[in-house]
Amino acid sequence: MSLRDLVRLVRRTGRVAEPAPPRPGTTCPVPGTHGSVALRHVDAGSCNGCEIEIGAAFGPAYDVERYGVRQVASPRHADGVLVTGVVTRNMAAPLRRTVEATPRPHVVVAVGDCACDGGIFRAAPGVVGAVEDVVDVDLKVPGCPPTPAQIVAALRQVTGR
Amino acid sequence: MSAVDLGLRVQVLLTAVALLAALLPVRARRLLSGVCAVLLGAAIAATGVAVLAGGTGRLSVATALPLDPLLFAPSGLGAYVMVLVGVVGAIGAIAGTGSAHGASSSSTTWAAYALFLLGMSAVCAADDVVGFLFGWELMALASTVLVLTEHRERADVRSAGLLYAVMTHLSFLLVLLGFSILAAQAGSTSFAALSRVDPSSGAASVAYVLLVLGFLTKAGAVPLHVWLPRAHPAAPTHVSAVMSAAMVKLGVYGVLLVVLRLLPGGPWWWGLLLVLVGVASATYGILRASVLADLKVSLACSTTENVGLMVTAVGVAVLLRGSGESASAQVAVAACLLLMVAHAAFKTTLFLGAGAVLHATGVRDADELGGLAARMPVTSASFGVGALGAAALPVTAGFVAEWALFQSLVHGGDVDDRLVSVVLPVTVALVALTAGLALLTFVKMWGLAFLARPRSAAAAAAREVGGWERTAGLLGACAVVAIGVAPGLLAPALRAAGGLTGVEPVGVGGISFPGIGVSLQPAVLAIVAVVLSVLLAVPVVLAARRTPRRRVELPWGCGGVRLDPRMQYTATSYAEPLTRVFDDALRPRRELEVVPYATAPQLVSEVHFRQDLDDVVETRAYRPVVRLADRIGAAARSLQDGSIHRYLLYAFAALVVVLVVVAL
Repeated sequence: MSLRDLVRLVRRTGRVAEPAPPRPGTTCPVPGTHGSVALRHVDAGSCNGCEIEIGAAFGPAYDVERYGVRQVASPRHADGVLVTGVVTRNMAAPLRRTVEATPRPHVVVAVGDCACDGGIFRAAPGVVGAVEDVVDVDLKVPGCPPTPAQIVAALRQVTGR
Repeated sequence: MSAVDLGLRVQVLLTAVALLAALLPVRARRLLSGVCAVLLGAAIAATGVAVLAGGTGRLSVATALPLDPLLFAPSGLGAYVMVLVGVVGAIGAIAGTGSAHGASSSSTTWAAYALFLLGMSAVCAADDVVGFLFGWELMALASTVLVLTEHRERADVRSAGLLYAVMTHLSFLLVLLGFSILAAQAGSTSFAALSRVDPSSGAASVAYVLLVLGFLTKAGAVPLHVWLPRAHPAAPTHVSAVMSAAMVKLGVYGVLLVVLRLLPGGPWWWGLLLVLVGVASATYGILRASVLADLKVSLACSTTENVGLMVTAVGVAVLLRGSGESASAQVAVAACLLLMVAHAAFKTTLFLGAGAVLHATGVRDADELGGLAARMPVTSASFGVGALGAAALPVTAGFVAEWALFQSLVHGGDVDDRLVSVVLPVTVALVALTAGLALLTFVKMWGLAFLARPRSAAAAAAREVGGWERTAGLLGACAVVAIGVAPGLLAPALRAAGGLTGVEPVGVGGISFPGIGVSLQPAVLAIVAVVLSVLLAVPVVLAARRTPRRRVELPWGCGGVRLDPRMQYTATSYAEPLTRVFDDALRPRRELEVVPYATAPQLVSEVHFRQDLDDVVETRAYRPVVRLADRIGAAARSLQDGSIHRYLLYAFAALVVVLVVVAL
């Protein structure tokens, strides 16, 4: 094997991520942060479909962490809150408290049709409404569920990478 | 008539006035008896200061006994302890005026308090054996009455009072025996004659052991310490403050009296005995203090620790003097005297603070306190300063005293004597262990009682105590800080008290020991620290003002309000690692009971946990002795069976024995 082939093999090994699409504009930045954002995920009452897609977005194939997005455990450590699912009665107050506990300035990203406008569960019993009925939403990612590529593209608008 | 003569007579007069004031009705009694007790304390302290400044005086009390008159002529050492006793007694009386109510404010209690102070002063001022023992017994009786004050309200007070009475009279008996042997050798009862007894004789050794045992019983050293953690919490607060801060010092004063004045220069094992007892007391005392949750019991065990350190210092002084290192020996004596003053200052503050907490919440157990810093700010501040002093952190009295002790241990080490060169490093290690455990103990005590959230409704309902108690606590805290910042002010008193030449004030209130070439200037350290912290704090505060403060409504509890005061550390859980590591020495008894649901045995309904930390010395050493005494008593009862023939036989046999002995 020639030296060039060897170097190409080394560079290729372990890379399974899809090549990065072109950089979008920063349409929803968090003031005071540049190029990275820490997000706390809250499941306000989802069916878990959006969670699986978000899991794929953070996985090795779509790898949104390349663009500076990070998931953190405590809202006190976060720059924003990632909300999935329609807001149920029991989760309305905890969602409000989580957003309140996140230091300002922060963003709230609603992922999925249920989080954006109530989706198919809009009229179900035990449902308070969409996320924008409970807290202020800065960015919506529509889809049922949105594909990992759509989630990555939306989060890139927050970090600008 | 000199100032000292006047002082001694004024003390007796003020005691008489205090006894009369105790007979007044309740309202007037509390104020007037308190004021009389404060004046009595001030008079005792003033007499001591007059003696330390170079005055002399005497009070000679003739009795109907076929003995020489009682002689009270304080020496430098006695005067030093008198100042301590007087100041502590006055501060205790100030606190008592505010906190005493019900049984603690009765005529008996106030009268006994005045007699207690007079008894302690008599012990310090005594210049002959009979005067000393008179003061000792007066102090013992008065303090027993004071310990038993609340016997109607609390069940544990009676047994504590009984144990205390037995132990204090045991100490009286041992001291009496020791002094009798010495007086028989010397032919007279005055201390001047006793100091001429040859220390290397066998009788002097026996007397030394008896006297040291007697004084260490009063001081509360292991294994004779069991009464301390029982009696001090049983007594009313101001009394337990005076007992812990002043009375146990008289035991140490007795040891110093024997070692420095009566029998200086004894054989090598005298100092070793003191060091062994001292180190054992210090480590065992602080170990128990660090694992117990009850504030007052923990403070009493800490007293055992400090007494152990004082006795260690005296023992090291004796060892070093015997092997020729007189400079370090002097520093060791100075360390013992500094420890006495420092302990008096911070222990008074701590006990009065614990008493204020008890007064405000009705609870002594730190497992049920918390959040008192917001509700009782003044008490919290003075208790905090006392805790800093007890943990021997810089700019407090405890730091100066432990510094002096460490200096004497470290600088006495380069000596040819094999015994000294083995004993001193081991002592340094154990004293360092003690210091570490003390820090843990007092962080636990202050942090758990005063910080965080209240752990019970009683703690949540606490309110700051009245002006008298707050004043007393603040006075103690000021003393702790004053001695810590300017120890050089004590240097002339140390010189006069111990007959030392190697203690000098230096710089701005600093103290130095020129014999071993060390000095300490806490005032300079304090000023440097204050300047540095101001230089650091000002820019930080100015920078912080640029971002607006946001009120946090709720601590983060995963979206819910799930924080419960029961989730906090308790004193027992904080000390659990220590209990586990030292479980061979502490022998905790633990009971765990898990109650499942009757219909679903896999689900737990209740868990009951109980931990008992009884004193190992009491369960392993005292109870067998008491059981043996019980069995002997029961066997002896068979001699008293009611038969008059047997009683006549006893009388006849006794007569025969006496005649035979007289004939021999």
